[in-house]
Amino acid sequence: MTDFTRRDFIARLALWGVAPAVFDAKLPRGLDFLHRNSPTAQKYLIESMGGGVALLDYNNDGLLDILLVNSGRLIDRVAAPEEFDRHDPQYWNRLYRQNPDGSFTDVTEAAGLASAGDGNYGMGVAVGDYDNDGYPDIYITNYGKNTLYHNNGNGTFTDITAKAGVAGGGWSCSAGFFDYDNDGHLDLFVTRYMEWDTKHSKICGGEWKTYCPPGEFPATTNILYRNRGDGTFEDVSQPSGISTLRGRSLGVAFADYDDDGFTDVYVTNDGMRQFLFHNNGNGTFRECALEVGASLTADGKPLSGMGVVFQDYDNDGRPDVLITVLPREIYALFHNDGDGLFSYRSLESGLGLLSAASSGWGVGLEDFDNDGWKDMFVAQSHVLDNVEQIDHMLHYKQPPLLALNHHGKFERAAESGADSPLAGRGAAFGDLNNDGLMDVVVTSLGGKPVVFMNQAGARSDRWLSIALRGTTSNRDGLGARVRVNGQTRFATTSGSYISANDKRLHFGLGAAETAKIEIRWPSGVHQTLDAVRANQFLELREPEKS
Amino acid sequence: MIVAALSMCLALQASTAMEHVRAGVEAHKSGQLDSAIAEFQKATELDPKLALAFVDLGAMYVEKRDFAAAIAPLKRALELNPEIEGVHQLLGYALLGQGYAAEAIPHFEQAHDDDTLGIALLETGDYSRAVPLLQKSLGKNPGDPDLLYYYGRASGLLSKQVFDDLEARFPNSPRSHQMMAQNYAALRDVPNAEKEYREALRLRPQTSGLHLELGELYARAQQWDKAEEEYRAETQIQPGSAEAAYRLGEAMVQEGKFHEARLALSNSDRLKPDMPETLYMFGKAASLDGDDALAAKCWKHVLDLEKDTPLVAQTHFSLAGLYRKQGKTREASHEMELFRALSEAAQTQEPPR
Repeated sequence: MTDFTRRDFIARLALWGVAPAVFDAKLPRGLDFLHRNSPTAQKYLIESMGGGVALLDYNNDGLLDILLVNSGRLIDRVAAPEEFDRHDPQYWNRLYRQNPDGSFTDVTEAAGLASAGDGNYGMGVAVGDYDNDGYPDIYITNYGKNTLYHNNGNGTFTDITAKAGVAGGGWSCSAGFFDYDNDGHLDLFVTRYMEWDTKHSKICGGEWKTYCPPGEFPATTNILYRNRGDGTFEDVSQPSGISTLRGRSLGVAFADYDDDGFTDVYVTNDGMRQFLFHNNGNGTFRECALEVGASLTADGKPLSGMGVVFQDYDNDGRPDVLITVLPREIYALFHNDGDGLFSYRSLESGLGLLSAASSGWGVGLEDFDNDGWKDMFVAQSHVLDNVEQIDHMLHYKQPPLLALNHHGKFERAAESGADSPLAGRGAAFGDLNNDGLMDVVVTSLGGKPVVFMNQAGARSDRWLSIALRGTTSNRDGLGARVRVNGQTRFATTSGSYISANDKRLHFGLGAAETAKIEIRWPSGVHQTLDAVRANQFLELREPEKS
Repeated sequence: MIVAALSMCLALQASTAMEHVRAGVEAHKSGQLDSAIAEFQKATELDPKLALAFVDLGAMYVEKRDFAAAIAPLKRALELNPEIEGVHQLLGYALLGQGYAAEAIPHFEQAHDDDTLGIALLETGDYSRAVPLLQKSLGKNPGDPDLLYYYGRASGLLSKQVFDDLEARFPNSPRSHQMMAQNYAALRDVPNAEKEYREALRLRPQTSGLHLELGELYARAQQWDKAEEEYRAETQIQPGSAEAAYRLGEAMVQEGKFHEARLALSNSDRLKPDMPETLYMFGKAASLDGDDALAAKCWKHVLDLEKDTPLVAQTHFSLAGLYRKQGKTREASHEMELFRALSEAAQTQEPPR
């Protein structure tokens, strides 16, 4: 009897025809976070945009921990200097260490993360081992100055923003670590939303008093920091060509879309065309989304681009772009056709039916049922908290969307288990309990996060989880292209919306008992492993360059 | 002797009154409205039977927008001479200006002034008489914004009056439920609108237009599968409706049923050729269904029919995508240039920094 686990019970249910839902939505013991965005009558736009979340193993104990970004205190009419009360513990960002029993312990203070900095209203988080010391570092984006925390490797972090020179400024949203020059050191891309401050805030919607659309405020530039490899970064936004364009950027994701060995950058913009920065391989980028067909809908219309994933959804080996948007648009899927070109495939892939009435934020393409096809999960909620008064057809709180991928066509999961509406914003993906199934943590604006534990095990097939250990390349192998039995993933912790994912690469294997793994490391080294046994966690070390 | 003296005196007064009238006219000509009023007032006092002086006095008050003061002299003028020209119109203005619309109506009728008669009828709630009069006036003065306003208001109120009457007299009729459904739909209240449409359809299943309206409700709520069902029902009731066929095709494109969509849109194009929106959507369905040649043909036809509209920009963009897919780089670049040129203005609209 003692050997009869919960997993066995679920498997037995499936055999009896009582198949459980894919997810069990829960708030694990000890995860007592409450996001505080402090909505005001002034309808400050920053109130509606925060809620970043990261899944990372900060202490390398093999269990994923959760970092949740808080926002701050806003009063009805903010006066200069903007303060946001981040010294008050209820407005702190929080780091929760996972315990072996699946519960969590708040280690924020012990880890040295209690101070969020004066004048910062929190947004998102990026995770990467910028100094290749084997411990993930944390970059917090804010309205205000951003913060880089170095992981000291002993359970504590040190704010090294000033030394590193990555404070940025303005209104930062999503950020991500990647190695654009393949020098083995992770660089940092920071999106910024718009030129806005509380002094120049506006209220829109007439008598309805709503948050203003992005076009009411000037666009701004994004930032690219090059890692010098000595613990400091250089702002190369201008020489790299990144800051030549102004946008209203919210999401960022990385992949090598044209297979030239250099990581490219996709940036979502709200209410305008999207950006694809092609990496020229010489330290510069060229924005080319419009000319390659990855900027506007098939009808030439702009998108309210928010979250983004840059992964291969149809197993043709090329990374595609999936973007979440507002209702009455459709989540945009730009299929990578090869030869550096994309085509808008939202309708062909079934997104017309799935997303036309929804508003999406955090998004992931992960194989939740391990059938070998990446499924879609979207944290959803309208941006306007009073939208139901204005338009009865729309809803502020919405349940997350789980759509299963059937050979490149998405269909809503009949029993997702993600049925309760929430004000979804950030979403981070990873295998929290190391059971070979991808889980999700979703933040709720002004509310508690929800952990969606994947319990599809009984029905699911085999899997493989790969952690990369770069030697010449950056330590976590971010930017590597990994192929397993015909599926492709690009190693990244970025994507989604203001969130950071488990760095491990998860592959569903279907019924296959073994796998062939092919890796192209950022250094250019190719590595192949044959007949790798399914259902295991692997750490693969980058071989020496021959 | 006495009679002669009296006659002389009256003649003198009349002549003096006319002098004041002339002085009033001169004052009016030089823009001195108050002086003109004083002169005409004096004239009416000197000769209380001089209708002309009362008319001029009333006209000055109307011009001064002092409608209350205008009414008495104008009425007196009519008493003295019911045939005098222009008084009915002036009195109508004064009465309407003071809110006495019902009293103003016979004067406007006498003056054959359709514009103001229509407005007065609107104010009294006689919308069915007001609408054709205002429409007639608008035909003569199509660029008059005031007339447009009154015509729109009268038409709306007439519509409401008719619908209120429909609801009061036939509360359970299919049309009454349809009307209620339309009201709910305008409020974006999908459940109640749906309920009313369903009831209307239950009472009279073959009513044309009902399925189309219900389909549009579902389409606005992005419920494309339900919209398709309703549009399909409408095409069965109205097989000759190009719009129903177009809507059906549009819904099926959203659902990813490209081949079926193409058939419906082809049908719509056959029923009503040369509709740019239909042709654009037909091309889109054909492209999604893998028929690039037909897509290009439809989109080029759109460009033959329309110039410099958002649909034209869309069409250039779609053609660019098609050519890109076909490896026709030069043609794709050309279409993108045309797209950029048309959409540049919209995309460069930026708030000031």
